[in-house]
Amino acid sequence: MSEPDYVALNRATWTKANAEYTDAAARQAWAREVGWGQWHIPEGELHMLPDVAGKDVIELGCGTAYFGAWLKRAGARRVVGVDVTPAQLDTARRMDEEFGLGLELIEANAESVPLPDDSFDVVFSEYGASIWCDPKLWIPEAARLLRPGGILQFLRGSTLRNLCVPDEGPATERLLIPQRGMYRIDWQEGDDAGSEFHPPTGEMFAILRENGFELLDFRELYAPDDAPDHEYYSVPSADWARKWPAEEIWLARLST
Amino acid sequence: MAGAPEHVEPNRAAWNAGADEYQRKHGRFLRGDAWGTWQIPETELGLLGAVAGKDVLELGCGAARFSIALAARGARCVGLDYSERQLEHARSLGADFPLVLAAAESVPLPDASFDIVFSDHGALSWGDPPCVLPEAARLLRSRGLLVFNVTSPFARMCLDEKAGRQVEQLLRPYFGLRRIDEGDGAATFNLGYGEWIRLLHANGLEVEDLVEPQPPEDGTTTYGIPVDWARRWPAECIWVCRKP
Repeated sequence: MSEPDYVALNRATWTKANAEYTDAAARQAWAREVGWGQWHIPEGELHMLPDVAGKDVIELGCGTAYFGAWLKRAGARRVVGVDVTPAQLDTARRMDEEFGLGLELIEANAESVPLPDDSFDVVFSEYGASIWCDPKLWIPEAARLLRPGGILQFLRGSTLRNLCVPDEGPATERLLIPQRGMYRIDWQEGDDAGSEFHPPTGEMFAILRENGFELLDFRELYAPDDAPDHEYYSVPSADWARKWPAEEIWLARLST
Repeated sequence: MAGAPEHVEPNRAAWNAGADEYQRKHGRFLRGDAWGTWQIPETELGLLGAVAGKDVLELGCGAARFSIALAARGARCVGLDYSERQLEHARSLGADFPLVLAAAESVPLPDASFDIVFSDHGALSWGDPPCVLPEAARLLRSRGLLVFNVTSPFARMCLDEKAGRQVEQLLRPYFGLRRIDEGDGAATFNLGYGEWIRLLHANGLEVEDLVEPQPPEDGTTTYGIPVDWARRWPAECIWVCRKP
């Protein structure tokens, strides 16, 4: 099957990021306790993780699969990680051998996953399919993969942050682009280019509902008071993210 | 009223003092069967569904133009407001259904008595949501609909109070939007998206839709929000919720 134009761009971005940062950071990431977002807010504080004990979980856009590793350690029966970038999956496989967790890692686009219907209890994405894939394609795919009553959870950057990010540099305190039309954001930063998808809040709501999901929770994350800026990602400064939500977690359930 | 939240009396006083001027300024613009700052017709948004024969309560009805229009479509309406003067305006506009003088934080009506509860920049803005939502949930019948329109967090964050209009700059944080001082003890209220969803769930309501209406290019308003701003960012959020 031919892949959409943005997949090659995004693969190039993540191949580069893997060489520059994520491969070297993987061991530490895999070893951590469950935490949320760029400031790693502890699950013990947020209580957002669904019960995964004994469940079959798939992570869409898993990268180096550290979140999948956390879910496996939280008791998931089966964890499958899907990603389009071979370099990221190589790192994930190396870590999986080292940590001995038995993740299944598959090279595939989350918009078209080569696995049967009704085979998972939880679909999860953290800055994976949740921003790099087209929601009108990957949300139906999540619905297809889930068993009735299954849980969809994803984390992405906030709408506000995406409205305030300039072409280069961190988020500003000004709304720079209209919300209308932000469904797909094509960006260029130096030699890097990519496409991200960000339907705003009301539109995301409608996509979930059209695919049979009921929204259970929506949590906006702030940077902790003492948080420093992120070491690698050019994202909002911690100071920005203390005043405005930089990230959001969506939790939804597929109708039974 | 014993035990009423502290903003209720100042808000009542503010609306009684300001009702005549409010009606002079906005009365002719407000068309009735329409939502919010740009008066987008309900026939276009279709959020309330068929209203004929339904029991409908408007929380913070003011001069009750919306309810008057719904009554003309066959709804059995009740309007509620804490301002005597606003309810006098409702009567003078021909509201021939019950008008209840009370705060939405404490509604003197029985449980499960409405099919639809709605508010258009009414009691979910001029009342404190954690106090008003339990009442809305209590008043609804099973499978009943709650629809309310409030100012968006964007419009709050970007309001230049001196200029009286929205700008592109984020002038205040998203944190602490909840209570906004309107002077003389009066206050309006607002929540972030996540806070609304959690509060609605905590009151046993399912969130069915979140509509961020965009005004038409030639949209006009008497409320001061620049149309070119509101074409780009959502100035209002309409929440559509159901009692299971």
